[in-house]
Amino acid sequence: MAEVVHQQAGRGRLRAMFGYEERSAIVFLAPVMAVLMGVAVFPILYSFYLSFFRMKLTRPNRTPFVWFDNYTDLFTNELFWVSVTRTVVFAVTSVTSIAVVALLVALLLNQNFRGRRILSTIILIPWAIPYVANALMWKWIYDSGYGALNGVLYQLDFIDKYMVWLGDQDKTIFLIANAFVWKEVPLAAILLLVSLKSIPSDLYQAARVDGATVWQRFFHVTLPAMKPGFMLVMIYETMMAIRHFDLFFILTEGGPGDASHVLSWHIYVETFRNLSFGSGAAMSYVLALVTFALSYTFIRTLGRKV
Amino acid sequence: MTDVSQTRTGGIDYRRRQRLSRIAHSLVILAGAIVLTIYVIAPVTWLVSSSFQTEAEIVSVPPHWIPDEPTLQNFEAIFTAQEEEEITYETRSGQDPAAGGFIPSTAKNLLPAMWNSFIVATLVVILNLLVGVPAAYALAKIRFWGRDGSVYFILITRVIPDIALVVPFFLVIRKLGMLDSIFSLVLTYLAVTVPFSVFILLQYFEGLPDELDKAARVDGCSRFQALVRVFLPLSLPSLVAVVLFTFLTSWNEFLLALMFTQTEASQTLPILLAAFTSDFTISFSFINAAGVLAIVPPVIVAVIFERYIVSGLTAGAVKG
Repeated sequence: MAEVVHQQAGRGRLRAMFGYEERSAIVFLAPVMAVLMGVAVFPILYSFYLSFFRMKLTRPNRTPFVWFDNYTDLFTNELFWVSVTRTVVFAVTSVTSIAVVALLVALLLNQNFRGRRILSTIILIPWAIPYVANALMWKWIYDSGYGALNGVLYQLDFIDKYMVWLGDQDKTIFLIANAFVWKEVPLAAILLLVSLKSIPSDLYQAARVDGATVWQRFFHVTLPAMKPGFMLVMIYETMMAIRHFDLFFILTEGGPGDASHVLSWHIYVETFRNLSFGSGAAMSYVLALVTFALSYTFIRTLGRKV
Repeated sequence: MTDVSQTRTGGIDYRRRQRLSRIAHSLVILAGAIVLTIYVIAPVTWLVSSSFQTEAEIVSVPPHWIPDEPTLQNFEAIFTAQEEEEITYETRSGQDPAAGGFIPSTAKNLLPAMWNSFIVATLVVILNLLVGVPAAYALAKIRFWGRDGSVYFILITRVIPDIALVVPFFLVIRKLGMLDSIFSLVLTYLAVTVPFSVFILLQYFEGLPDELDKAARVDGCSRFQALVRVFLPLSLPSLVAVVLFTFLTSWNEFLLALMFTQTEASQTLPILLAAFTSDFTISFSFINAAGVLAIVPPVIVAVIFERYIVSGLTAGAVKG
């Protein structure tokens, strides 16, 4: 009996503390918070916890607590540094290419011409295609025996015999970057197009009155005004590039040798092929921190909240 | 326009120069449009074209860009694979002795995998709406302590790379005994997609006037009724955008599915495709046909709902 009274009092206090607005907000937000807590926050904390254990699934009953060994092992592991280098090369190549190509596409789609709508629909195709299908498509294009790349270059007389593409250590990562760029350009172009459209036209008018040429207008009006848009694209695409996995899995499996052994592939191999969950978790954590740091610095330099 | 400029500058020379530069301008646009179209279309066309080729044709050097004798045999193999045909050395090489084109026994799993993909995506869409709509409404129209904090929190979860979640996900899902069940996929995809859904909806709700909300409340609607009776009917475009994004993301997802699925009970289409590409005995024309099947639904959706997708992408961009 006393308990019931107590409960009612508790409820009354709750009611007093939170008005109707607060209570309905809590009820409305509860499901999304529960999902994100359970399936995003908890796992990331759990992986932090796991990263302090030597946890090999090949020895399921022995999982000693090893302090920071997984992290120190990581930084002395040669293959880890190889994978970091590969990831950086991949990210820098693809993000710059995406920015350049997407800028050209956005400038084109910002013009008024017949067929513009059709064109802007067509460029959504790469965006919609699943990454796996994209990978399969490029694998077939790059195929050394019967692929389209060899076919085109051969018919145009650029090469006199078929070449090995993905199997070539020097080319692999750039070819994968190309497949990545092809898929990511539409989104980047759409984002840049928005920031192009938001440039007030009197800026151009003023520049024209001052006698600025087309190029001067482009470099002094268009590009500076697009800075926020560019930043957004850079942040997003960098995050996508350093965590990318699908293309590496299907096109090369990190090969040939370690030519495309990027960080996400390294995590996958370490965790699911070597079954070493502790060090896999440590690396995942490093990657998550890097992603956070990257987006934070980007946002800070951008000087506005995203 | 031209008349005015002509009278102002007077010279016929000026008009000619202007016309020339306009022609040059449209030539540049034309060239750009053609290059862009080829860049986007050519790889896909090549994939589609080779899915209609026979095994003998697909291995020709240099390649046939347009099939000489288009065939539906690859698609037929996918859609009729249910009738178990025994694969022996004869049937295997019998289709085309020269090339030994091989259609794998797992071909019969393609349609079930598509079905799995479809079910998972549909469930994720429904849950997204159920979870995302009230959250976005609360964040947009209710003033309460912790509102900004909640927005930032939801934003930050979007930054976590999914590969970083894979290890803990795997262990938890294994402990729950949900490995190889589509529910593990539904749950994780929900967490991956819901932040973006909330942002699209939040953006849209914020654009609707507060007076609507007030009027509904004055008329005696509860918060819930205000949301369902007043806001939902008005927010159809953003709901469509959420449905599209969520569906496409789930349909395309690969990494998590690779971790959690093991058999045809839960394997989604990308998993099966990936398995095909790593098997060197399988005919390329067959793999390409399977690839085309995976591409067609999302591309059709994207083309039909182009307007919603572009507005959704840009809305998400402004916030997150």
